This record gives sequence, structure tokens and C-alpha cells, in this order.
Amino acid sequence: MSFADPPGPVRIALLGNPNTGKSTLFNRLTGLRQHIANYPGITVEKKTGAMVLAGRQVELIDLPGAYSLAATSPDERVVMDALCGRLGHRAPDLIVCVVDATNIKRNLFLVSEAAELAIPMVIALNQWDAAKRNGLRINAGLLADRLGVPVIPTIAKRGRGLEELKKAIGHTLADPRRIPRILWPDFIDDARDIVRNGLAQFDVDVTGPEALRMVFDADSAFADKIGHKDRVREILQSARDTIRSHGMNPASVEAVLHYRHLDALLEGVIGGDGMVARTRNSMDALLLNRFWGTLIFFGVMYVVFQSLYAWASPLMRLILAASTWLQAAVSPMLAGTPMIQSLVSDGIIAGVGGILVFLPQILLLFLFIAVLEDTGYLARAAFLMDKLFGWCGLNGKSFVPLLSGYACAIPGVMAARTLEDPKARLTTILMTPFMSCSARLPVYVLLIGAFVEPAHGPIVAGWTLFFMHFVGAAVAMPLAWFMNRCVLRIRTQPFILEMPEYRVPTLRNVTIRMWERGREFVVRAGTVILAFSVILWALLYFPRPESVAEKTRAAFIAAQSAALPAADVARALEDPASGLSVKLARRIDNAYIEQSCLGQFGRAVQPVFDLAGFDWKITVGVLASFPAREIFVSTLGVIYNLDADVGKGTDDLRAVLANEKWHDGPRAGQPVYTLPVVFALMAFFALCMQCGATVAVIAKELNWAWAAGAFAAMTALAWAAAVLIYQIGSRL
Amino acid sequence: MKKLGKTHHDRMLEIVSIASDCARAGRLAALGFLPGRLVRIARIAPLGDPISIEMEGQEISIRRAEADLIVVREVK
Repeated sequence: MSFADPPGPVRIALLGNPNTGKSTLFNRLTGLRQHIANYPGITVEKKTGAMVLAGRQVELIDLPGAYSLAATSPDERVVMDALCGRLGHRAPDLIVCVVDATNIKRNLFLVSEAAELAIPMVIALNQWDAAKRNGLRINAGLLADRLGVPVIPTIAKRGRGLEELKKAIGHTLADPRRIPRILWPDFIDDARDIVRNGLAQFDVDVTGPEALRMVFDADSAFADKIGHKDRVREILQSARDTIRSHGMNPASVEAVLHYRHLDALLEGVIGGDGMVARTRNSMDALLLNRFWGTLIFFGVMYVVFQSLYAWASPLMRLILAASTWLQAAVSPMLAGTPMIQSLVSDGIIAGVGGILVFLPQILLLFLFIAVLEDTGYLARAAFLMDKLFGWCGLNGKSFVPLLSGYACAIPGVMAARTLEDPKARLTTILMTPFMSCSARLPVYVLLIGAFVEPAHGPIVAGWTLFFMHFVGAAVAMPLAWFMNRCVLRIRTQPFILEMPEYRVPTLRNVTIRMWERGREFVVRAGTVILAFSVILWALLYFPRPESVAEKTRAAFIAAQSAALPAADVARALEDPASGLSVKLARRIDNAYIEQSCLGQFGRAVQPVFDLAGFDWKITVGVLASFPAREIFVSTLGVIYNLDADVGKGTDDLRAVLANEKWHDGPRAGQPVYTLPVVFALMAFFALCMQCGATVAVIAKELNWAWAAGAFAAMTALAWAAAVLIYQIGSRL
Repeated sequence: MKKLGKTHHDRMLEIVSIASDCARAGRLAALGFLPGRLVRIARIAPLGDPISIEMEGQEISIRRAEADLIVVREVK
């Protein structure tokens, strides 16, 4: 591809190991002109950005960080597929390889692998300052001569070297320069030809570099694309046998040859002792210490958790108050058309408020994550905690997302991006909604306060509440183990953790991270959450025959007139602010809910929940809580016809629940809320993903299939647990 | 000769071989865990796993299960 006539913008890919400052460089080059999406069919984030270079439009692609082009899963294959032009775009016109100057040899391994593709390259030798601090003397000019492509020292964090980098990119586009391919010994060429010739029969188009990947990678994800599993495996086996017959291990032969090549290439390029910096060593000695390190870790995590749980709440209340105020301000303007009024007020304004209310927690969590990641502490935290999570397919980096899940699953699911391993990230995302988020608390408090505390005293009640917080995690972790073993047969990758240098985070980088995540949540997940909110509104609003209101009104007047003079009742109802009018309005609301799609559905599926001891009112409450579990308490208030605003206090509601009895059926006259029912209900809330926003965020982070699957699985699990508890509990 | 995951803290070791040709062994090789290289267990996590390995002035942490794919011998 010549620079003179590219169709559309020039495409440049950023390639590099994790922790090289690649994303910082990407942010620096594109500013905020970024676009984030998912690659189709897989769960990897596709980050592209626009920049202008020498008057030309450039599309910059930030590839996922990787140590090697080897791929055993479609997620890992993204890097190679993007470089080969397999993802619906042509191959990039140029690769900018971001190389960590403190660790040149290992970083050049990936570059050396990519050189096989013969795409023009420019090397950004990043973290140049850290390399100097570590006592390394790097001859960048000599390295450029040896590699045959420009090598530009950069400090992406401070924006140093970017002009030189852009200039080098411009020159290389005009005059393409490539790193020469490594000269493979004959037996490697033979092995590659065995693969290419062998696969020719399947009528697939496999390039030389892709055939090489299949030779080198056991369980190659490139082979998975072809199908014909057994015959392909035979071909690959014979190719790998060729390597074995030369006394080499096929898993390491590529690395042995590349590193031998790099050892020669780097001769005389790097001087100085390159010792691990002394300050770093003493910091690690403290932060990774068995006692102090663990103590500091819990201290740091306490601050993170407190900030999400407590510090975010004034802001969240402010956002909810603003949305309530807006509802009150807008409603009168639309009083002429009650349907539009309700749609705008209960559907749209409440929906938007329900989206924005998550922002404080998301921004705070990403503030902490950006700071923890940039200082280098997040990797240390993962090192400390890995053992706790490794057995069930998670890893040390799962701790922060799962902990965040205790405040709210949404920032938690988003925080799982810090996990590079796709399988561990997937598992972490699916486990996060099980953590006992703060929206479950009001449900627990109501039920424990109404039934456990009066029967067993405050101490048992306190322990019950404490215990409820761990039900989700206790179910989720063995489930994760089971899924990893039996369902998600994604091949396990080694957990590799680099301890980056300790660095001072920059305000710029932290702000960009917060802005990016916040904007992404509002734009990508927000639209879906809003749609959910409107759909739920419709399910609770329609159908709405006038006759329901008239019938309820007539019955209400008849009932009231028995106690009061009819004229007084009529006069009271004239005044919309009178006690009786408010009471009547609530009765009508309640009658409409019973009539609504959701109300009818609740009655229809009650037999399913009857196995867990739920009556139709609980069932409607549970169903209405699917978009957001915190709705449960207020929905019960409406269903039980409470005149007082239950948001202000739950004492009335507690009394009503305690006195609620079955009206008909085999249990007529018995209380609805027995302890088995209460615990079944709490278990249901502990295990169910009753949160439309979480479903939407999982869909955006993974895809809709995973979101729907997780939702269905958690609902089924919650139902089964509730039934089990009720059935066993009521027989004891 | 021993597996790297079974060696003691702070000894100077030389990698003798990679004991497997599975995909995980390939990943370790890509990181530079190759025969002839000198390594040392620099740190062990408080819960016993993972372990942090120093190699050519770099530190990288892996789990003992993976470290066991690497065969080492002690050097004086």
C-alpha cells in the first residue's frame, strides 16, 4: 500500500506488551477523539481514535496488550487477526510498536514476531526516563540501524518525544521500512509448509505467518477457525513432530530462535547495570510483606469500598432529588395528556435519573483504579490476593471488581477491564452481580427487621444481615469453579503478573480514564437502561381502561360513606389535596397495577413462585423489582395500599407484612410471611440479577448472549434456592 | 534438578529445560523462560502463591503451577 492513494484514512495499529504505557500513548495521540466498541462475536474491547498527521486523516487502533502473538482463544487472536486484516478492515498500513525501554529484549520478542507480517514499523521506546533512572544506557540510534526502522525514545506520560514519533510515522508512511524477517532454519520452513499444504485441501486461505502460528502454538485458535478438527489436529501434529525430530520443544522453539536473534541484535545496544531500582525494592519489601503488606492492602481496599458505599451517596441523593424535582416541575405542563405525562415523568425522567445515579460510583471507582494502576499498586494487590481466587478461575485482579460489586455491580463489571486474561475477566464479570450490592440492603433490612428481629432478638438479626452479605459470594465462587471446569472450556492461560515501576499518577491520565468510563457508561449502557425503563413503565401502565378507575372510585366512595356522611365524602374528594383524595388516588394506582400487564403476569406466574411460598402480591413485587431491586420496598408499599409514603419509613410496611394472611387456597387464614418465606425471599434477592442496568452493562462489556444467559441462569438459580429453602424450611 | 515451583526462596538457579510442550509452556518461553537463563525466586506472596521471579534484572510473577513447568538446577 503506498501512501499516495489509500482508500479512506491511513490505518495505524499500536502494538505492545501490557504495562508499556501503550494506552497512555494512544490517549496522547488521539486526545478525546476515541471510539470504543466490541469486536464482533468476542469480548475484547476495540479502541480506535482519530488523529491528523501531515494533513492526512489517520485511524489509530489500540490493540490489546500482549506478550506474544500466540492465541489459544478467539479473544487472544484479535491482535494477529487485526494485523492480518481479518476483522472487516484491511491490514494496518503501519504498526507503531510500543516498547518498554526498561525491558527491551522481552518487548522486542513481540515486535520480532510481528515482523513476520512485513508491515512497516516505527518503534516507540517508551518509559525512557524510567530506563535512565534504572541506570540503563540505551543506544537508540544503533538499535534503529540494527532493526532497520526508526526508534524514537518517548515518555508518553509527559508527552515527550511525540512530535518526533509523529514525524517518524510520516516518513515511514512515505518511505515504508520494515524489520527484516528472522531467518528460520529449514525444519521450521518445512513445518510451515506441512501446515499450508495440508490445509490447502480444506479450501481455506491461510497466510504464511498464520501457518507459522499454528506450528508454534499448541491448541492454536487459528486452527479452530478451519473446522475439520481431527484432520487439522493430525496435520499440526505432524508439523510439530518435524520440530521434535530436530531435538527442539515445539512450545519453546519460537522463543529460543527469536531470543537468540535478539541477543545478537542487542549486543552493545544496552549498557549499564539495569538493576531493579533500589527504591522499588524497599517499597516492595514493605507493600508485599506478609504482615504489613496485607494490612496496607486491607486499609487501601477499605478506603475504596467506603468511598463507593458512603462517600458517593450524597451525590447520588442529589441526582435523585434533582430528578424528582424535574418530575414535579414537568408534570403540570403535561397534565392535559396523562399518558404522555406519565411516560415523561415515570418513564423518561426517572429512567435518566436512574442512569446518572450510577455515575458518582463509577467515577470514584475509576479514579481509584486509575491511581492504583498508575502508581503500580494494583499489580501488587493482585499478587497478594491471587491465591484466594485462583482455584475458581479468577485471579488476584478480580478482587477490586468483586469488592466494588458490594457497593454496586455496575462499576464492578466495568472494573473487570483491568484483567488482561479474557477468561478470568469473563468469570469476574459473571461473578460480580452475585456480590451483595447496596440495593439489596433495604430488602434485607425490611424483612429481617419485620420477622427475624421480633422473633429472635437483635443479635440474631444482626448476624443474619451480616450472613446475607456473603450468600452471593458463597454460591458464586463454587459456581465459578464448576463453570471453569465443565462449562466454559476456554483453555487456561498462565497468570502472568508484572510488577511495574512505582510512578506518580498524572492528573491528565486519571481524568481521561474517568471521563472515558463515565461517558461510555452514559452513552453505551445508558441508552439501553433508558429503553428498559420505558418498557417497564409501559408494562406497568398498560392496559388502562377508564372502567378500573370508575369502579375503584365507586367502591371507595361506598366504603367511606358507610362511616361518614356522603356529602362530607363528596366534599373531601372535591379537594385533590385532602386525605381522602390522596387515599383514593393510591387505591386507583394500585388497581391499575393489578390490571397492568405486569400485574396480570404476576398473577399468572404466581403458581411458579407458590413453590417458594410467595403469594401473588410478593410475586408482583418480585417481578416489578427485576429492573431494579431497590424498587421492591416501594412496590410493596403500593401493593399493600399504604397511605403513608413508605420511602420515609418502613414501620407501617413491617406491621402490614406481619399481619398479612392468605385470603384463600389451602393456607387460608395463615400468615403469608413465615420465616421460611422470608428466607426464601431474601435468598431470591441475594442470587437474582434484578437490575436492568447490570444486564445492560454486561451486554456492553461482553455481549447480549452472555448478558441474557447470566440473567436467565441467575433467575433460575434464585428461584431454585428460594424453593429449596421454603420447602425444607416449612417441613422442619 | 528441580521444578522451579518447588525451589527455595533466594537461590540462584539456571533453567535446564521447559518440561512440557503445552500452550502454557509456550507462554512462559515467550516471556524469556528459556534454557540457560539465570533466575531467582525474589518474593513469595503472603498466601504462598504466586511467586515473583527475578530474571535478567526484571521481576515477573507466576503461579507455582506454571513455575513447575520449568526445570532448574542450582548454581553456586
